[in-house]
Formats: sequence, C-alpha cells, structure tokens
Amino acid sequence: MSAQAEAQRLLPRPLLAVFTVLLCAMVLVPLAYIVLASLNSDVGVASGEFWPSSFTAESYTKIWTTADLSTGIVNSLIVCAVTAVASALLGTTTAYVLVRYTFFGRLTILRGLVGLQSIPGTLMLLPVFVLFSSAGNYLGLTVIGTRWGLFVAYLTFALPFSTWVMVTYLRGLPRELEEAARTEGASTITILWRIIIPLSLPAIVVSGIFAFLLGWNDVLFASVLTRPETHTAAVALSFFGSAQEGGALPVYSQMMAAALICAAPVVILYLVFQRYLVGGLTAGGVK
Amino acid sequence: MRFGRAIALTGATVLVAALTACGGGDDEGGGGAGKTLNVLIGANTQYPEEFAAWQKSISEKFKAQTGAEVKFEQFASANDELTKIQTSVVAGSGPDVYAVGTTFTPTAYSTGAFVKLGDEEWKKLGGKEKFVPATLGISGPDEQNQVGIPWVSRPFVMAYNTELLKAAGIDKPATTWDELTAQAKQLTKGDQYGLAIAYKDNFDPWKFVWGMSTQAGNPLVDGKTAKLQDPTVKKAYETYFGWLTTDKVVDPAAIGWTNPQAVAAFAKGKTGYFALTTATAVNSLDSGAVKGKWAFTLLPTVPPGATSRPGNGVEAASILSGDNLLVADYSKNKDLAFEYVKLVTDQEVQLDYYKKFGNLPANAAALETLKSDPKLAPLTEAAQKSVATPFTGAWADIQLALTNVAVQTLPDLAKGPVSAATLDTRIAEAQKKAQSSLDRAK
Amino acid sequence: MASRKKVSELQRPLWLLTPGGLLMTLIILIPLLLAIWISFIDLDQYTLRRWVEAPFIGIGNYVESFESGLPKSIWLSVSFAVLSTAVTVPIGIAAALVTQNAYRGRALVRAVFLIPYVLPSFVVASVWRTMLQPDGIVNETLGLGSTLWLSGSNSYWTLVLVEIWAAWPFIYLMALAGLQSVDNEVHEASAVDGTTWWPKLTRVILPYLRGPVLLACLLATLNHINNFTLPFVLFGAPAPDDVNVMPMLVYVTSFQGLRFGLSAAMAVLSLVLIAIPLYAYLRAVRLDVDK
Repeated sequence: MSAQAEAQRLLPRPLLAVFTVLLCAMVLVPLAYIVLASLNSDVGVASGEFWPSSFTAESYTKIWTTADLSTGIVNSLIVCAVTAVASALLGTTTAYVLVRYTFFGRLTILRGLVGLQSIPGTLMLLPVFVLFSSAGNYLGLTVIGTRWGLFVAYLTFALPFSTWVMVTYLRGLPRELEEAARTEGASTITILWRIIIPLSLPAIVVSGIFAFLLGWNDVLFASVLTRPETHTAAVALSFFGSAQEGGALPVYSQMMAAALICAAPVVILYLVFQRYLVGGLTAGGVK
Repeated sequence: MRFGRAIALTGATVLVAALTACGGGDDEGGGGAGKTLNVLIGANTQYPEEFAAWQKSISEKFKAQTGAEVKFEQFASANDELTKIQTSVVAGSGPDVYAVGTTFTPTAYSTGAFVKLGDEEWKKLGGKEKFVPATLGISGPDEQNQVGIPWVSRPFVMAYNTELLKAAGIDKPATTWDELTAQAKQLTKGDQYGLAIAYKDNFDPWKFVWGMSTQAGNPLVDGKTAKLQDPTVKKAYETYFGWLTTDKVVDPAAIGWTNPQAVAAFAKGKTGYFALTTATAVNSLDSGAVKGKWAFTLLPTVPPGATSRPGNGVEAASILSGDNLLVADYSKNKDLAFEYVKLVTDQEVQLDYYKKFGNLPANAAALETLKSDPKLAPLTEAAQKSVATPFTGAWADIQLALTNVAVQTLPDLAKGPVSAATLDTRIAEAQKKAQSSLDRAK
Repeated sequence: MASRKKVSELQRPLWLLTPGGLLMTLIILIPLLLAIWISFIDLDQYTLRRWVEAPFIGIGNYVESFESGLPKSIWLSVSFAVLSTAVTVPIGIAAALVTQNAYRGRALVRAVFLIPYVLPSFVVASVWRTMLQPDGIVNETLGLGSTLWLSGSNSYWTLVLVEIWAAWPFIYLMALAGLQSVDNEVHEASAVDGTTWWPKLTRVILPYLRGPVLLACLLATLNHINNFTLPFVLFGAPAPDDVNVMPMLVYVTSFQGLRFGLSAAMAVLSLVLIAIPLYAYLRAVRLDVDK
C-alpha cells in the first residue's frame, strides 16, 4: 500500500474489519433468507422455514411466465436510466444557478424544494392522473400508458432531491476555474459542460442513483400510469405478491426469486458506476 | 475524455429513442373492426400459463364474433384494482369491463359509474335465467337496479383432514359451530390441533362474525341502522376468540397467522379442520403432506350456543363470494362490452374456466353439469347456500370495523381470554364507525 | 469588486431555472393545488363520478380529521421517523468510512451495502413478515417462544427495526458522496501533523460530511414519514393501533373508506404540520445559506 493511500486511511485496520463484517452480516443474513426462500416451496415459506425441507430452483424458470417480468425490466431500465441522466443534469444546472448567483427568491426556492419533497405520494396520485388524462382528452396528447408520461413524472419527483444534492456539493467547489474560463469568454453552458459537470461527477452519480431507484421502486404511480406493454419491473413484481382472498398461497418463492432477479441489474449498474465515487477533487482532474 | 463524452451522448440518444419507441401505442381505433375492448381482470399467479392461454382463446373467439380486439389488463390486488377504478372514474376513461369481487360490488354501485342493467341489457347477455339465482344476490340493491353480472363463484367452505377425523372416531364433519368446537377438542392432542384459523388475516375474521350472526338472525345491517352491539355479534367474537384462548384447539402461533400460514399449517397434515377456505386453495393443499387425505365440507350453519337455527336465522353457508363483471358507464364500446360479457358467461366458456382455474360457474346450466361430481358437492351446495352481505355503500367500512375488533384484540389474546368489558368497548367502537358510514350512505 | 458584481448580475443565467421550474409547476404544484381543493369538498364514492360538482364543505374535512385520530397518527409517524433517522445516521456514516479506502473486494462490499435499498419495500416487508411470524425463524433462533412482533405494542419497534434495515444505505450513499469532497491535501496535512485517526476523523473529516448528512437526515426523515408500503405490507390494513401511522390512516380513509376529501385533508394537514418544524430545522442548520 502506497504512502498516499496510507495517508488517506480513515479507520484503523482492525476497526475497519469489524465494522465491515458487522454491516455485511446485517445485510447478508436476511438476504440469505431471501435466497433460501426462493429455493423453497411456497408451503415451506408460509410455515416459517429458514432452511428448506426440499430444494428446488424451478421458481427461477417459472417467474418469467407468471408475470411479464422481462418486459418490465426492460421498461424500467429505459425509463429509470433516462430519468437518472436527465434529473442529474437538470439538477446540476438548477443547483449551479442557485449556488453561484444571488437573486430575489433564492432561499424560498431552496426551502420550497424541500417542502415539495415532503408531499406524500398518495396525495398526488389522483391529481396527477387527472392532469395526465386531461392532456389526452383536451390536447390529444397520449400520456397515460406511455413511457414518456412515467419519465416526466419520475423526473419531476426526483428533481428537488437532485437539485439539493448538487447544491450541497457545488458549494464546496472553488470558483477560480469558472472565473478564469469566464474571463476567457466562455458561455455558461460551456462552463457547465466543460468544468462543473466533470468536477461534480461523484455527486452526479449519487443523485443519478437516487433518481434511478426512485423510479425503480415505485409501484403506486407506475401501476396507474402504465399499460401492460409499458409496465415496469416493480409493477410486474407486485403481481407475485398477489393472493386471492381466502384462497391459494401467494407464490412466495417466486416472489423472492423475482425480487433477486430485479435487484440484479441495479446492483450490476451500481458496480459499474461506483468507481466514480472516488475520493478527492484531484481524481476529477482539476490539476 | 472527449471520446467518453461521445459515447455518453450516443448512449443518451439511444435511451431517449427507446423511451419514445412504441411508447404511445394506445389504439384510438375508429369504426367497426378496428375497435379494442379493454378488460381489467385479476392476475392469476397460480396458473399463469393457463391464464395466458385462456386470454388468448377468448381474444380469438371474440375477434371471430365481433371483429374487435380484447385487451386484458391485470391488477395485482384488490387495492390495486380500487386505485384503478377510482382514477378511471374520476378521469372518465379507462377499462371498459371490470371484474370485481362480490363484496366490492355495493361500493362500485354507489359510484354510479357503471351501467345499470335493464331488460335490454339482460337480453343482450342471454337473459337473467342463464345465471344461478343465488349469484344475482349481490348484483344491486334490488331487481330494478343491478350493475353486477355474475361471472364466477368462489364460495367459502371448510377443508378437513379425513384421516385425522377417522382416527378420532368422527364419522361425519360438524354441521353446527358447537359441534365443530367439540370435534376440534377431540382432535387436539400433542402437536396436533383441531382447527387452523388465520387470526391475523385482514379478510377472514369478519366472515366468521357475519356468518354466525346471520345464522342467529342478525344480518348486521337493518336498513340504515348498524346492529353490531347485539348479543349475537358478541357471541360470535367470543366463540371465534374462544377457540384459541379457552378451548385451546388452535395452535398458539395462529394468533399471528394470515390465511396463507393457515393453509400451510393444514397442508402439513397435523390439523383437523381448516375453517375458511375456497376452491382456489386446491393446488396449495395438494402440494403438502395432506395430499389425498382431505375433503371440503360446508361451514356450520347453526349459530354457536344452539342446536338448531332460530326462526329468523338464515342458512348462510358462505358469504356470496366470487367475481362480478361491471361495464363502465364512460365506455364508448358498451355493445362490445356486453358481447364480451355474454361470451364469458356462456356455458362452454364457464366450464372451461372452471376446469382451468377451479372457480365455479355462475352460469346455471354449467353448474348443473358439475353437480354429479361428488367431490364438488360441498362446493356447489355452498354456492347455492351463499347469502349476500348487506348491499350498502357503507359495507366496506363495516367490514373494516369488524376486522379491526379482531386486529386490536390480538395482543390481549396472547395473554388469555379477552374480558367481556374490553370486547364491549371494541364492538361499541366498531358500531360507531359502521353507523357513521351508514349515515353517509346515499 | 462593485463593478464585477454588476457584470455577473447582468449575466445571471436565470433562464436555466425554467425547465425545472416548469416541470415542478406542472407536475407537482398544479396537482397539489388540485389536492388542496379536493380537501375542501365532500368527495367520496357517492360524488366521485361528478367530482367537479361535489359539495364544497370548507374546513369540514379538517375538523373531522382531528376527530378521527390524525394527531395520534402524526405523532406516531414523526417519532418513528426521527428514531429511524437517529439510528441510521451512525450506521450509514460507518459504512461510508469503511468503504472509502480502496482494498480488494471493496466494490463487492459497496454493492452489498446497497442491497437493502434496491429491494422493493413490499419484498422487504414480506420477508420480515414471514421471519417475524410467531412460529418464524426469529423467534425460533432467539428462543422467544411465540412472541408477537406484528401485533400490539411490539409492532412499533418492529416497524422501526425494519425501516432501519431498509433505509440506512440512503445515509451511507449520501455520506459516501460527502467523503468525495475531502481534498487530498487534507489527508496529507493530517499525515504530516501525525494526527491519529480519531481526532482526524472527528475534527477534519466529519465536518466535510455536515452538509450532505444533514440534508440526508432531513430527507430520510421525510421518507420515513411518508413510507406507506412498509407498514402496509408488514401489518396489513386495518393496522394495529400502535402502528397506525399517518400514511396508513390516509390510505385506509382514501382507499378503503373511500373518503377522498377527508383523506386529502389529512394529508394536507400533516404536510403543514411537518412543514413547520421542517422550516425551523432548515433555518437552524443553515443548510440553505452559503458558508
């Protein structure tokens, strides 16, 4: 280990090991339960078994016909990826203006953004639906049932958060670089694109991740704003939890298998993007 | 860096293109053959492949008959469906035909958003006579104001373990609640229990209370008055809780069970009776140790504490349970909607649906052909002895209030029998909620 | 100095705020106004179809909210949310610290830490529900007999525990992002000074996390308050009185009682009641004011 890396060390080695093991155990024990349950029978899961009395992997083949999971995953990936990119970029530009310029109403906007974040989704569902369907009735714009509609909704819901994440990050960035560029006659857009965005990649990745997950985990809006062709993974997944009143068992093991399958793409994407979560401004290439 | 950005830009373009691609595929449809009928129907996770095949065959038949397409949309749960109904009704657009649970039909009726069935509509469906008379019991408040067209019926019954009953020397399953309690006591020994009851379920508890009260002559609602503070209701709760606390014929863990856990417990083959189940549970029961050793039987129809039903008591073997079809008032394809409903309520389609999914036909002729099957006898009998829950827009609230009594009492049950005073307070609270909801009913 | 300020004022690119502003006005503010209007009308199953004509009843719904247990629900929600946030913050920061320095397998550990956050709420809730049933694995392993986790007063602690399990990665991610803004020179300076890890951590590193973590606390608390799926799937509706949190009450009123006007009033009222402490918090921590 290099001297520089050693200098960056935050925790002594033994403490680091203990924390890592504890935290991993906290996540992995319930995760192990999910994995085992996905290999168990529905009756076994319902009766509270941890270790299956008989193993079977057939849930992993059944899930694809029980609900249209593949279509859902594709739709979710598309909608959430576009939402993540758009909300991170839009959040960055909005935050840039809010951080670098003073104007009347700036504080109100910043506080208002947090206020927007506190509105419960259940309150918004009906009005948003009415708005979208009137766009269809009066303007001839089909919004409900399209990926666009879902994207616009998620983008807007993610925006207050993305903006705030970027605000807290941009504040820490030195002004010198932009000012140098500005005296050379660079436009605001150029400054954003050439200087601000490359410098704030870690924060952009984080706000992108949150925007992505917001869409990925939403069932409420997706279930009324989509049609079978545009269902998201979360909607498809929610079918696995369905059970008829007083009737058959829910398909527990398929639900667990489907949840793992749906989590996989996100974890893989995160593994790809986490390398941008690296320390220090120097890594961003200022020097 | 520059190269990386070019890739990023290309990626973004591709994603945006994907977002638009086939996104706006809502068929507007114009004139005759190009029309599409949207049908909202519950997801079937037990038999997904058969369900997809059924949808396909219906679509083909419908296309052959009318030239129009049927597009099925599925909902995951009753809550999901309610959200869809609510948003569609407010916006005045959405599915043309809805399949809704029977107990939800009064609520749907009260919105006034579904087509009332006059003589003409019934004629389009092939006549009212085509349906099992009992299934029409929850189509509307009276004969002239019906909105629900019976589609399938799923009466509630008990399942019992034939071997355990035989071993305990019981030759005939119970027909009164007292008899059931007595037999359950006989069946309880060691790790074996007499009854499997889902105390923590959100749908089961009120069915017991409603059933026992109705059999004792109190259908819970009398016009605009809620009658929950009645000795029959209290007796029902006492019997229901008593199995766990005083009779001790239920696994103590049942206090935390929802219906699936009760199914699982009975499926293990260590329980005498599974007190509230229906035909759709067959698959789950047959995948357990109890396979081949169980049978359905009617729920008791004589109220607790009695050996015969009182004069005003009703022989309610089950709530009237199953699905009704509703045609949306805002639909621009009403004629097609009725053609679809006619198609799926015809004898042949109904029998096919029964064979695939175990839901009993609402079509009288179709049900008639199933009567000869002795295994089905309890189910068909229960279907005919099903009694409709009170038809009022307030029913959803009453059901909730009844369940809430059970939910809030669970922690007390863990400590022992619940005191009469506690129970009275909780029932009084439920009565208050039920009555205030009835007062709002229009 | 004065002239420079003037120039930058002239060039303020405020138009950059318009796309975001338009979106939020259209998709959040207009629906919110509609929701507020709904809270003033008697909208229920009987008036739903002609909702535009539903009778205006002023503050009637608000008065009824107070009578139908809303204050208790708000109290439950807020205490549950604050408690959950208080526990997740140290966990999240610790997790960020252990994954900051590179080592073999760090990417994997980072991914593991994300998992609770990636699993949909209803799956998390179903999993815990089966693990916590009386004859489930938790009681069996800990030898607790048939302790009731999902009914009665224990249910509140169950809700807090499961929420903590599901929500700490949020704090972790925010703290991780904050750690990225620590300058290399800071590490080097500490190394030169020979500062040991604990003073370095508390005096040098943690101040960098103040902004993101305070923001995370705020947003996490709001998310806890508005979390509906977790209590709904864990306990079902009607929920035990001890976990009848605000979203459950709003949901039951809206989608089981079908009193849409009343439920909108409840939601608006709790929004206002949450907004007041929120405003005070924002002022107190001065998150929105430049350093």
